[in-house]
Amino acid sequence: MRVALAEDGALFREGLVMLLEAAGHEVVGCTADGDSIVELLAEEPADIAILDIRMPPEPDGGLVTAERLRAAHPGLGLLFLSHYAESHYLMRILQIGTESVGYRLKEKVGSVDVLSDTLARIGAGEIVIEPVLARRLVERPRGERKGIISTLSERELDVLRLMAEGRSNNGIAGQLFVTPKAVEKHIANIFGKLNLHADTTEHHRRVLAVLTYLRSQRNGD
Amino acid sequence: MMLEPAQRAGDAPRAASEQGPSPAPGTRLPAPTGDARLRAEREQWRLRRNLERQLHDGASLRISALTLQLGLLRHRAAKAECGDLHAYIEGFQDELHAVLQELRDVSVRIYPPLLDEAGLGPALREAADRVDVPLRVDVPEDRFGPAAEGVAYFAVVGCLEALRPGTPGLAVVARREDRTLAVDVVGVEPCHADAMLGAVGRLDGVIDVVGGPGVGTITVRIPCE
Repeated sequence: MRVALAEDGALFREGLVMLLEAAGHEVVGCTADGDSIVELLAEEPADIAILDIRMPPEPDGGLVTAERLRAAHPGLGLLFLSHYAESHYLMRILQIGTESVGYRLKEKVGSVDVLSDTLARIGAGEIVIEPVLARRLVERPRGERKGIISTLSERELDVLRLMAEGRSNNGIAGQLFVTPKAVEKHIANIFGKLNLHADTTEHHRRVLAVLTYLRSQRNGD
Repeated sequence: MMLEPAQRAGDAPRAASEQGPSPAPGTRLPAPTGDARLRAEREQWRLRRNLERQLHDGASLRISALTLQLGLLRHRAAKAECGDLHAYIEGFQDELHAVLQELRDVSVRIYPPLLDEAGLGPALREAADRVDVPLRVDVPEDRFGPAAEGVAYFAVVGCLEALRPGTPGLAVVARREDRTLAVDVVGVEPCHADAMLGAVGRLDGVIDVVGGPGVGTITVRIPCE
């Protein structure tokens, strides 16, 4: 894939470029701030932009840059990297886009396999969410949702956690060594217990429904 | 370009000319009073916030970069078929992730990064997720400066952590009253106010308590930016 990269820490930026190239991706350019990558991508086409959240323009240049990039290049995938996996930023990212977006911890993309898997899923239109954060969302849902989540079976919790990572049904099936049909059945059960409408067949809409459910406060958020 | 940590933290030693005349040898300095004491107290909060930034921009970023370099090494080891070397390297990467998680825990206790970057509302919502008591957070997006936000955050979080399990839901409602940050903690036992008084008082803040001895409301008012 053709990848552009904006990150203000030189050491991390250089390391990521080397790892991307080792994974067989083409790095079309890298910059130390958000404004420069907007300029770069105006000239140079790319499949995915990797953005550090906390970079110039301060305080969270990655997010404002992403808004500009999404407006200028709607098909461009966006991968946000951060030192912190916070639901606050996840919600802001989902306001920027709900397709072809990813949010991962910086130290968790440090392998060729994980990096390529993350980029491939974003390229395929998925939402990719840091597993550390997805686990926390499921284990500590907001407010009165805790009681309902505790009615899920162990297997249903596994499926919910993988859904919160943004994985497709086939992806979940692969992780749990079960058939996609079995995953489908678990999802129907989960949506029944959470009282969510599972009528939409579009995968990413279901992921959004799950994330919103886990995150919303009673008085809206 | 990345700045050196000391420059970012803003804690470089002051020039002698900024420090005023030096005291005569053998004299005991008087304790700072009034404005000087308040300035020093606010400076402490700024320093705490800067220490968190220093951890983020310095040690944490270096360790993250190291996991990438190890990833590259792991890729080469797997290609060269060096036995199970790549599995060892993966173990080191997991260990570095654990180190970073511990640094994150420390950072949150020094000065929560979300409080610095996004303000009191998002930081308190994140804190609410860590306790078992349902909490409604109603805080404007307004910013109040690192000292007032820091004191208000740790006062509320300290109170949440001290709650008995099974406490029914609470609400935290904040507003600006001119140059004052006012925070109501609704639905708590007023005795929790005692633990807040020290830090609030050092910033010339006041605490009012309504209701009790059972459930009441604690209102904290802190002068702010």
